[in-house]
Amino acid sequence: MKPKLEILSNDELDTIFTTALYLLKNVGVSIEDKEIKKLLADNGCDVGSNNIVYFPEWLVKDCLKSTPKEVTLCGRDPKKDLMIRRQRYPYIIPHVLNVNYYEALTNTFRTTTKEDVQDFVRVCDFLDTMDGVWILTMLPEFKEMYMFHDFEMGVRNTTKPVCTTTLEPQSIDPTYELAAAIAGGKDELKKRPLLTICFCAVSPLSWSKEGCEVLKASARWGIQPAVTTEAPMGDTGPVTFAGDIAQKMAEFLSGDVILQLLNKGMPVIWINVHESFDQRTGMVNLASHGDFIQACAMGQIEKHIGVPIISPISPDSHMLDMQESYELAFTLLPQMLGGNNVIVVHGLDTTRAFNNELLLLLDDMVIAARRIIDGIDVNPDTLAADVIKNVCSKIKDARRIGHFLDQRHTLNWYEKEHRPRKDSVFEKHSREKWMELGSKSFIQRAHERVKEILKSHKPEPLPKEIETEISKIRKKYKIKG
Amino acid sequence: MADILKSIREAVLNYDEDSVKRLVTEAIENGINPLKVLNEGLTPAIREVGDKFGKEEIFLTELLLAANACMAGVEIAKRKLLEEKQKVGKPKGKIVLGTVEGDVHNIGKDIFKVLLEISGYQVYDLGIDVPAGDFVKKAIEVNADFVASSALLTTTRPQQKLIEQKLKEAGIRGKVKTIIGGGATDKNWAKEVGCNFYATDAIEGVKIIIKVCEKQK
Repeated sequence: MKPKLEILSNDELDTIFTTALYLLKNVGVSIEDKEIKKLLADNGCDVGSNNIVYFPEWLVKDCLKSTPKEVTLCGRDPKKDLMIRRQRYPYIIPHVLNVNYYEALTNTFRTTTKEDVQDFVRVCDFLDTMDGVWILTMLPEFKEMYMFHDFEMGVRNTTKPVCTTTLEPQSIDPTYELAAAIAGGKDELKKRPLLTICFCAVSPLSWSKEGCEVLKASARWGIQPAVTTEAPMGDTGPVTFAGDIAQKMAEFLSGDVILQLLNKGMPVIWINVHESFDQRTGMVNLASHGDFIQACAMGQIEKHIGVPIISPISPDSHMLDMQESYELAFTLLPQMLGGNNVIVVHGLDTTRAFNNELLLLLDDMVIAARRIIDGIDVNPDTLAADVIKNVCSKIKDARRIGHFLDQRHTLNWYEKEHRPRKDSVFEKHSREKWMELGSKSFIQRAHERVKEILKSHKPEPLPKEIETEISKIRKKYKIKG
Repeated sequence: MADILKSIREAVLNYDEDSVKRLVTEAIENGINPLKVLNEGLTPAIREVGDKFGKEEIFLTELLLAANACMAGVEIAKRKLLEEKQKVGKPKGKIVLGTVEGDVHNIGKDIFKVLLEISGYQVYDLGIDVPAGDFVKKAIEVNADFVASSALLTTTRPQQKLIEQKLKEAGIRGKVKTIIGGGATDKNWAKEVGCNFYATDAIEGVKIIIKVCEKQK
């Protein structure tokens, strides 16, 4: 059997879904965009005063039915495409967010540079446990068109899927053109969407003017949308888990209805952020006790509503320390065991700073979590009765002297069963040997390994014709930096 | 000739005991001197495997399977040398080895033994649960270069001190070197025991012995 973590019954999942439908019908969603309000009214919604739109149950269910159950996130290399809901293990996508890079060796935060982002993407490209990368930077050196820069930095340094987030609708057009150039034209891009953009509903139950603009642009261009819901519990969402999930579900479903009405059948991803509001510090946490349990539920919710969910995990610790490891492990493992298909991983600190050494910690945790997901194989070969018999038959001076270290069975199964990494940065030598190697901390070893990776790993360069296209797009949209 | 020696190397590197046996037999039947098979086929191959293990490029099981495959070839070549009354050559050193009294752990000791043997050393393996006096008796009997003892338990490691004491009492401590290892030992313990060398694992132990014996030459 394969281990699975389930914390909600089918009845409970149904009740949460029914509550989301109730909220859409009776509480409604605030929508600031006239065009979208008209679209919704034309399709059976009631538009009340103060921009509030009420969604009938049948419309929500119809739109959900036309939303594809599977989504593919495409990379430059088709072999690295991510077929969400068809995979063996949850996909892991590290996130470059905002303007802070954390220097692990000196324990300092500093303003991110273009080189930091590129290095991070290259390490993700190298590690086979990392399935793609998500980038949202607002680097001071760029000033505007951030999504274009993010996407360009991404595709230059990895052939895996690159997802982006936009806060400026005007950056969508050049980014779309860049994605089309890489895909080999706009028609090809429709077949293999290389661009995914994420944008937020505003909690509770609102769509801002900017959010609506991105919804429209996404539907117009056919860009893979990822509708994000963030309702820190006790802040812009109820403090209770069931209520917070129901509210965020309603927010997502309202976005899905708009997208399906604009472009029926378009795949939609729900980014469900689990956050809680810390009443002691007044901070929004992504890795507190409450966030851990929401992480467990993501897979079941995803299965129940039939739409791919990406769920971020994000340690709150300000250092690469014990707290960081604890928070990362307690969000990653339950979410992977809960069956959530895509997990976006932020770095550390409440600013969601990113850091290269952390990728090596994450890499090992992912290997361990995957191993748990695979469970224990019980078959004649793994039961190894013949091997045990053979080893036990070696007797000298009336004592059994055999062992399993020199058995071919050990060689055949060691890597499959234990998933060791020959280049692991985790210290497993004797203390003497560790001292001989310089008594280095995890951070020091990881730092050295990152340096080696960056020195030796060169991502597949962009073809010349794409470089020419990039120059043209930059000129057309007057993009600097 | 070079081809068959190359094939022997590959068979060792692939942990393929049957092929090693077949190829070594074939090489000797085709007139290649068994010493050449040992020195230019089997020994460099196992050294290569040992180096890979030292660099953590392969796992211990791979090293042991290669060592077993290699030893199977060594046995055939040695037998042939004896039949032809050729001298196998003097061992590079003589090592008396065992797990101390009260302790029945043998895996590390056995790995150490195999690695020493394929490196050309004569190993006198006294087994497990060996009284301190037996190490000394054997060392005198074979004129050993080294006495190597392993202890996996903190309750049995004092036996390593006893070996030192008995070697002194027998008057051979100055002549024979001592090396200790095993899970219950570390550098601090080695200092307390008063032994010459301490090894964290079998590979390190073999390296120390090779270095010391080569220096003595």
